[in-house]
Amino acid sequence: MEQYWNPILETLPREKLQRLQLKKFQNIFKWAYEHSKFYHKVYSEAGIELGDIRTFDDIRKVPKVEKSMMRAIQGKDPYPYGDMLCVPLGEVTEYHQTSGTTGQPVYQADTWQDWEWHADAWAYVLYAQGYRASDRVFLPFGYNIFIAFWGAHYGAEKLGCEVIPGGVLNTEARILRMQELRATAMMATPTYILGMADVARRKLGIDPARDLQIRKITVAGEPGGSIPTTKKRMEEAWGAKVYDHIGATEIGDWGYECIYQSGLHVNEALFLVEIEDLDTGKLITEPGRRGKMVITAFDRMAQPCIRFDSKDIIEWSPIDKCECGRTFRLLRGGVMGRADDITKVKGVLLAPTSIEEVVRSIPQLGDEYEVLVTKKGDLDDITLKVELMAGQEGNVDAIKNKLVDQLRVKTGLRYTLEFHEYGTLPRYDVKAKRFKDLRPKE
Amino acid sequence: MAEEYKIGDMAEKIQLLKQTATELKRISGGIQAVDRNVDRILASIKMLEINISDVAGIL
Repeated sequence: MEQYWNPILETLPREKLQRLQLKKFQNIFKWAYEHSKFYHKVYSEAGIELGDIRTFDDIRKVPKVEKSMMRAIQGKDPYPYGDMLCVPLGEVTEYHQTSGTTGQPVYQADTWQDWEWHADAWAYVLYAQGYRASDRVFLPFGYNIFIAFWGAHYGAEKLGCEVIPGGVLNTEARILRMQELRATAMMATPTYILGMADVARRKLGIDPARDLQIRKITVAGEPGGSIPTTKKRMEEAWGAKVYDHIGATEIGDWGYECIYQSGLHVNEALFLVEIEDLDTGKLITEPGRRGKMVITAFDRMAQPCIRFDSKDIIEWSPIDKCECGRTFRLLRGGVMGRADDITKVKGVLLAPTSIEEVVRSIPQLGDEYEVLVTKKGDLDDITLKVELMAGQEGNVDAIKNKLVDQLRVKTGLRYTLEFHEYGTLPRYDVKAKRFKDLRPKE
Repeated sequence: MAEEYKIGDMAEKIQLLKQTATELKRISGGIQAVDRNVDRILASIKMLEINISDVAGIL
């Protein structure tokens, strides 16, 4: 019991879990059909009626929803959410929006009920990662219009943790506050976790692993938490266990590592995750095949998320039973990228996470890097910029050979390599933009 | 593991809580300090339903 937020749901036998999922899908489908003009129209046009969802196979007939469809209906009444909204505007108590990385931001409405649900979804995450009421949790997060760690704040409160909102402080002040208050856990993007450690060492003379008491870190927002070499760097820098977590504004917090770090559990009591083949769209149920995630949040009511085509690339893990005893399925490697990001370069599919895995496996290189894809004549060219750690200038040839070999193995591509002085590549506070495709759009 | 817990009994109590909260709101005479706090209580009760009552029906 001690390791579960909800031992009943988290250890439910698969057959019962699937019955629960079907029942919950039927409920949210009915709710959206009856309360959202948008969903009613989408389903009616597809010829799907209430009562048509009797089996798991029937779920596959329900049309998927994409971000572009949400954008198209927003900015209209009920303003600004449009016809996706399932409750009167007066019941909406929380506004957030997506970052707009892939276009116009999507507005997200939540009621008090949804917000309780959001915090509870986070409670599943944090409890599985060992957070307890005795923890003092620091959130070095710019509390703002983005949902990011808002849910984490309330989820940690729900567990009884003492939560310190490290909002409008700069990085140095956040580190000093964590030290002063003896914070035991924190949450941020992998980029910021590494960036904070760097600032602590260089500007404050603080070794986070030695001088601070952070022993648990939850990361989100980028794939780094599931890239072994990046995770190792974070764990060594902070002397802490680093756990990955995945969520999104339109979806909720659906995936998390437990203390055994065997992969990401999908919270299948609150979400239905389907993986579709990138080319055929057919359902992938077996481990080891990458595909695109289609996800449903069963209990988010104001602005439901039903068969949302997230474009996240994931794959089921071959591990079918985690040591923790949860029956929730595991993903291997977390979110490996987005279908939009997995770009063809020189005719080969390139996932930026593979480059990160290689760069961070070489200790003579800094944490930062940058990838530029350009066109030289008719040919694609990839430039990889990396930073040499101080004192490594004489070892460039050996490091270069290692980098070339590993990049070829991991990505099958050749790169133009640029070595830069430590500290000269761009630094990021939240989500990094290290991959830049500068080829002219066709 | 589910058998170790009194899921049916818990689901009954959750239902009672919901009825009590709903009744309190019905008789509040529109006092906002009652209605709004009941709404928050109902949001928490809904989480109890999601965590316990919803699964009671399939065990």
